[in-house]
Amino acid sequence: MNFKRIKKPVPWLCLALACLFIVSVSIGRACVNPSDIFRFIYHLYTGDSAGPTPGELVFWWIRVPRCVMAILVGSSLAVSGAVYQALFRNPLVSPDILGVSAGCTFGAALALVLPFDSFSLVNIMSLSFGLIAVTMSVGLARVIAVKPVIVLVLAGMVVLSFFNAMLMVLKYFSDPYDELPSIIFWVMGSLSRVTWDNVLVMAPFTLSGLILFMIIGFRLNIISLGDIQAKSLGLNPVFFRRLLITTGSFMVAGSVATCGQIAWVGLIIPHMARALAGPEHEKMIPVTALLGAVFLLGADSAARTMSTAEIPVGIITALTGAPVFGYLMFRNRGAGWL
Amino acid sequence: MAVSLECRGLYFSYRHLPVLKNLSLRARAGRFCAVLGRNGSGKTTLLHCLNRTLTADTGTILIHGKDIGSMSQNRIARKISLVPQEHMDIFPYRVLDVVVMGRAPFLKISQQPGPWDYEIAQNSLNCLNAGSLAMKNFNRISGGERQIVLLARALTQASHIMLLDEPTNHLDFNNQYHLLSSIRSLCRVKNLCIIASMHDPNMAALFADDVIMISKGSIMACGPSEEVMTERNISDLYGTCINSVQLTAGKKIFFPDNIFRNTDQ
Repeated sequence: MNFKRIKKPVPWLCLALACLFIVSVSIGRACVNPSDIFRFIYHLYTGDSAGPTPGELVFWWIRVPRCVMAILVGSSLAVSGAVYQALFRNPLVSPDILGVSAGCTFGAALALVLPFDSFSLVNIMSLSFGLIAVTMSVGLARVIAVKPVIVLVLAGMVVLSFFNAMLMVLKYFSDPYDELPSIIFWVMGSLSRVTWDNVLVMAPFTLSGLILFMIIGFRLNIISLGDIQAKSLGLNPVFFRRLLITTGSFMVAGSVATCGQIAWVGLIIPHMARALAGPEHEKMIPVTALLGAVFLLGADSAARTMSTAEIPVGIITALTGAPVFGYLMFRNRGAGWL
Repeated sequence: MAVSLECRGLYFSYRHLPVLKNLSLRARAGRFCAVLGRNGSGKTTLLHCLNRTLTADTGTILIHGKDIGSMSQNRIARKISLVPQEHMDIFPYRVLDVVVMGRAPFLKISQQPGPWDYEIAQNSLNCLNAGSLAMKNFNRISGGERQIVLLARALTQASHIMLLDEPTNHLDFNNQYHLLSSIRSLCRVKNLCIIASMHDPNMAALFADDVIMISKGSIMACGPSEEVMTERNISDLYGTCINSVQLTAGKKIFFPDNIFRNTDQ
């Protein structure tokens, strides 16, 4: 093997994530001293008589849910990317392949153009259109019904370009002073609007997906061999494909519906995890989840603090992700996945 | 000798193109059965139907007398293993991790392979004198080694029936003999029933106990190797005139009649 594997990456990554979380909730425009955090928790526990200070309110209602969401979204995108790469037997697949993100983005843009001014409507429309897009891809592939895996990818491309075209139509006809900037900002992806409600919606998707993928980690190895070998090893590939696509789509749609398109996490994090833990899915899925969480939490902290105005986190992930991916391809050029 | 695998009246078609037509066969434990036929005659389709990777249109397939139509894919996989034609994998798994996948039918859906499963996998590799490959990258070993590893996976998986799809494809001259003699000794030692599709009638004549000849999706001839492997049958099968030279008692080498004629002119 060409790359070095770290013996026990999971505890180290857990530690890194915990440290980064503490740093991340502390920094920002309203800086919180790490010692204050314990005071805040103590107040929450005892029910302080003086009522919460503004700093405390920012901390509990803006900072903490945002950081929790970064962890959920990062791990969801990364893990579904890893699963899709195994499913489609292609290391260059990202979770957008079936048109989820394109559908989500169109749904959100449609809701932003519509007269109702409500963020929960944006979330709901986005989630539903993401799921509609996947259903269309899968349905189209089923109608064609030859070479299931390749046709799924092609059907995904068809649906993806359809929704991208629809998004262009919306952009073209939208109001350039008010609606267009909000659509563009939404497309670039940001965690700035996250509330506890979003976290409560997202957490079940992420957790159930993570648990499922960790449980069937070993079977993912077999799925990645293709249908014929999977069947002769006693697996039902059609059932697994449905299960994995459904779960993955919910995870990605949930993420994109609240945070917009966050590029590269679903593509590069699985590769980094493979470089750390090896390609066996039972080992790499937990590492992927933790790495994705660390990466997005770090990127979001940078997006909040690098300048006075907030930078969309999608820009940060693409700016850092692309060179990292290039470097990884260079490092692992002999390992056999290119 | 007990019949391990039997199929009766097998029909299979891709869309409207019939591939297998009323095919029946019996394979016994401890015997190496070779399937010969021209390209596109349905050899691979037959192997894929036998472990229900493809579902036959009509016909029954019995393992030890039990119909596989009512079995789950998992239960079939415990009895029948399939070695596909040489393949290259996407992810750089270690050889031992590829072999341990053969334990999948015996594990619960939520189970990961444990030390015991890895030990079985290592034993299968050792059994084929390939124990030293265990920690190597499956994508970086030679084609011959890869075929041995897939054979070890099949050995890990099922202890009754093994289907091999052109096992000597892409192998060099020496490796072909090496692999086939490994397969034959496995067949004898473990009392396995082996069905292998093959391209070279000479290899089949040298190693196989029984031969099944398939022409256009139905059986042209079948039976013990020394009865079936005649110049006439092979000539009919491949559609050219075949000649042979006697090597030792009972062993012949076959070659197309026209190879000398062309060079002499």
